[in-house]
Amino acid sequence: MKKHAITLTVNGEERDLLVSSNRTLLDALRDDLGYTDTKYGCGTGECGACTILVDGMTTINGCLTLAATMNGKSITTAAGLARNGHLHPVQEAFIENDAIQCGFCTPGMVLKTISLLDENPAPTEAEIRHGLEGNICRCTGYTKIVEAVQDASRRISGSNTSAMGE
Amino acid sequence: MSSRVMRDFELLLPESIEETIALLARHKDKSAVLAGGTDLLVALKFDYAIDNVISLALVPGLDELDFDSAKGLTIGAKVTIAEVLRSQDVKDHYPALWQAAKVFATPQLRNTATVLGNILRASPAGDCSAALYATGGSLLLKNANGCRNVDLDDFWISYGVTARRADELAVSLHVPAPEKGQKSAFRRMTRTTEDLSKINAAVCLQMTGETCRKARVVMGCVGPTLLRLPKVEKILEGAAVTPDLLRDISNVVISEIAPIDDQRSSAEYRNKVAGVLVKRVIEAALNAKGDDQ
Repeated sequence: MKKHAITLTVNGEERDLLVSSNRTLLDALRDDLGYTDTKYGCGTGECGACTILVDGMTTINGCLTLAATMNGKSITTAAGLARNGHLHPVQEAFIENDAIQCGFCTPGMVLKTISLLDENPAPTEAEIRHGLEGNICRCTGYTKIVEAVQDASRRISGSNTSAMGE
Repeated sequence: MSSRVMRDFELLLPESIEETIALLARHKDKSAVLAGGTDLLVALKFDYAIDNVISLALVPGLDELDFDSAKGLTIGAKVTIAEVLRSQDVKDHYPALWQAAKVFATPQLRNTATVLGNILRASPAGDCSAALYATGGSLLLKNANGCRNVDLDDFWISYGVTARRADELAVSLHVPAPEKGQKSAFRRMTRTTEDLSKINAAVCLQMTGETCRKARVVMGCVGPTLLRLPKVEKILEGAAVTPDLLRDISNVVISEIAPIDDQRSSAEYRNKVAGVLVKRVIEAALNAKGDDQ
């Protein structure tokens, strides 16, 4: 079957690659480009472990996206969030609120939180839970995660930084 | 590497509607159209095999989400559930559709899945499909010979089967402009919020004061396709919607549905709650404050 030549900008870096028709964006990121911070959970768009940001703040499931249809897109994974050696305020909030147990859902949770706070800088608890419905934590640490999102919201609005931490 | 790998297929990336139609004419039922892909890719990871996947990713002219108070609402083939949810026009004029979009799957899937894809999937559990069936609408289908409009009333034939011919591209959906006094609502029941509905319902009522002039009442997950409930609609039409009338309606619903046992619920449970859900969705339409759900 025909291979497709595509260029992706991942975490600010342009990457050329050749992908098969049936290659998911998730597999291209993990196995072809080495961004293993993006996780494979269910493969069917339910768990959100493969959440990435596309062209700004749009979250999608990498496991349900064909890499060959993403030519020219700009992608942010959790590994691309730190700036000048400092973690993103959402990452700091997750650490300081112990919102991580096994850590497998964390990259997706953090990216989804960034997108949520970009759209709604001061969400209520109900809005946080609705916004994170596509991210499953199998350690069931949701209470801590909600607290981390609330803390991140305060950190970002207090520091006048944008949701991207800039 | 992911443990669920899709079978190989040829991925075609046309750059215009005409080119897409030409590919459909050539490959017909040996092809599947990919818009959001949230259903198609899952199917491809399980037992579905198809030779050609025709992606709409590079096709312009399918992104229209346009409301005009005289002409109604047009939804292009690539319009996502998230875009519908962001539309103040949809929220104001088509509350049933907006409410269905709000509870649809997850934020990530709403950013990818399309409204037309939900219709074309022809699932009896389709939330946006149920809302649009109540509101009414028609699909614009194009092939190499021209185009035709198919009313949603005639579109779903059986589970997963639609009136779309294999060489036709669903270009857009047209929803009529709301009449004066039009009220609509959508409600569903699920096991968990990200799961598919175990039962859902949508209504669109044309009201003059307390009196219902016209009614479309739709129920999902209670038959092989979404169902309209003609007996309920007949009781509503010309009547004042009172608590007594709603009680009568609630008792009639069970005679119009044929639910089955499946992984999400049982026929017994669905029969038990269906009447209550229809009563509640009618009340929601009449008492609407906009974003309640």
